[in-house]
Amino acid sequence: MKSVRTSEGVQTDDDEAIARSLAGDLSAYEVLVTRYSMLAHRTAAMLGAGDEAEDVVQEAFVKAYRHLAGFRRDAPFRPWLLRIVANETHNLTRSRGRRADLAGKLTDLDPPEAEGPEDAAVTTDRRTRLLEAVRTLPERERHPVVCRYFLQLSEAETAQVLGIPVGTVKSRTSRGLARLREEVDRDLT
Amino acid sequence: MTSPDEPDDLESGLLALGESLDVPVPPPADVAAAVRARLEALPAAQRHPLPPSPQTAPPGPGSEGAAPDPASPDPGSSGSGESAPADPDAPGRASPGSGPSRPAPGSRRPRGFPPAPVRRAGRTARPGARVRRRVVVAVVAVMVALFFGATPVGRAAVAEILRFAGIELRIGGEPGPLPSGMPSPLPGEERVTLQQARERVAFPLGVPAALGEPQDVRVGDGGRVVSMLWPGVRLDQYDGTLDIVFRKDLGEPWPEETVVGNSHAWWIPAKHALTYRPRAGGPEVESRLSGPTLIWQRGQVGLRLEGPADLDRAREIAESVR
Repeated sequence: MKSVRTSEGVQTDDDEAIARSLAGDLSAYEVLVTRYSMLAHRTAAMLGAGDEAEDVVQEAFVKAYRHLAGFRRDAPFRPWLLRIVANETHNLTRSRGRRADLAGKLTDLDPPEAEGPEDAAVTTDRRTRLLEAVRTLPERERHPVVCRYFLQLSEAETAQVLGIPVGTVKSRTSRGLARLREEVDRDLT
Repeated sequence: MTSPDEPDDLESGLLALGESLDVPVPPPADVAAAVRARLEALPAAQRHPLPPSPQTAPPGPGSEGAAPDPASPDPGSSGSGESAPADPDAPGRASPGSGPSRPAPGSRRPRGFPPAPVRRAGRTARPGARVRRRVVVAVVAVMVALFFGATPVGRAAVAEILRFAGIELRIGGEPGPLPSGMPSPLPGEERVTLQQARERVAFPLGVPAALGEPQDVRVGDGGRVVSMLWPGVRLDQYDGTLDIVFRKDLGEPWPEETVVGNSHAWWIPAKHALTYRPRAGGPEVESRLSGPTLIWQRGQVGLRLEGPADLDRAREIAESVR
């Protein structure tokens, strides 16, 4: 998630690149694509595009370019773009009539807080269970949880990306968290 | 396990889990190249974000463009609770639900999801094309160098240099390896309001009535250049037509002579490399790729209008400058 930055600097850079893209400068747009490619792929994959995330992301970037004029320049670009990614993902899963599964594999990286091999094993085990628990959440709760914690979006961004009011993000997230807590507790006891 | 701080444990556990979740991600540069190739493969009318010109305006990107996908089905997981207002990007001109009469871009989307995206196929398979172009440029450069002996490569190929309205046109050379990456802004470029721009520059600024108020105004290089931006269109106005402010390197198709009002003008119909020459001298600002451009003069002010896809529309905009 290193590509996720929300500092002023990025905002300004985005604006610059957007202005030039609007003038038809595809090189400037390539910069935006490069900047958000990773986050867009993670979003698509985690919202259910699976191995078609690449196609979804390309399509989303093409659409975003063509609709760039409708982007409000004083608003942040990131959630606007991710909304398009989420929509494309939604269209895909709906058209394929399949469940929007959460894609993603646990990496073998040692969690930094792990003290030794046993701790690492415990942590990995706990994560595997937690991931399973997230996967089994109903979609309406899973998506906000994924946006908030896996993609590290703010509540407002999540609302925008999923096209639901902020209040709904809050309530669905907390319901999702409650369900996860139950699952995790059950596993551990 | 049931301590009050558990929520934090769970939340931080989720955050950590997210970080350790691996999603296959292709190299960003490849994605950018593939997207660019797809945009270049679009029909010209659809390629620009919101071409404001009526004749080129497809049903498309612009007019209703506001809510690209927002207009499309709510991605929210379920039926309840969603509402449009969360759309930050639904501006006024997107009359929601409008446009049954015209083929909105939404309808261009083949139900749900487009078929196989043209990834590397098509005439503009980018990476290949880029390499090929580089090779061609290199070969041409070598041949030119051989032919002319030791003449400096880039320059030898230039058949003609034309200076007009503060712009130097180098015609006939290869446009060169076209710049990619983020174009640098002009030296000291700042965003300002139209009013501020008027106060800061020493020359009279015009605004094309055909486009209305610019969305964005920038002043650069100590008030030497003012850039006004509208979706898909850029108008640069610059002080003095004595120095060379911009350099354009272009090949075929050749620029066309035309008129704007009473002023002589040039229309450059093809993409070309555009380079800014700072007033203080020093290194040129890294060049960028420019779209078709109309250049002309109003009094002592040089103007370049970039974006309109054809000369008629460009002239119409140029002649509306007040």
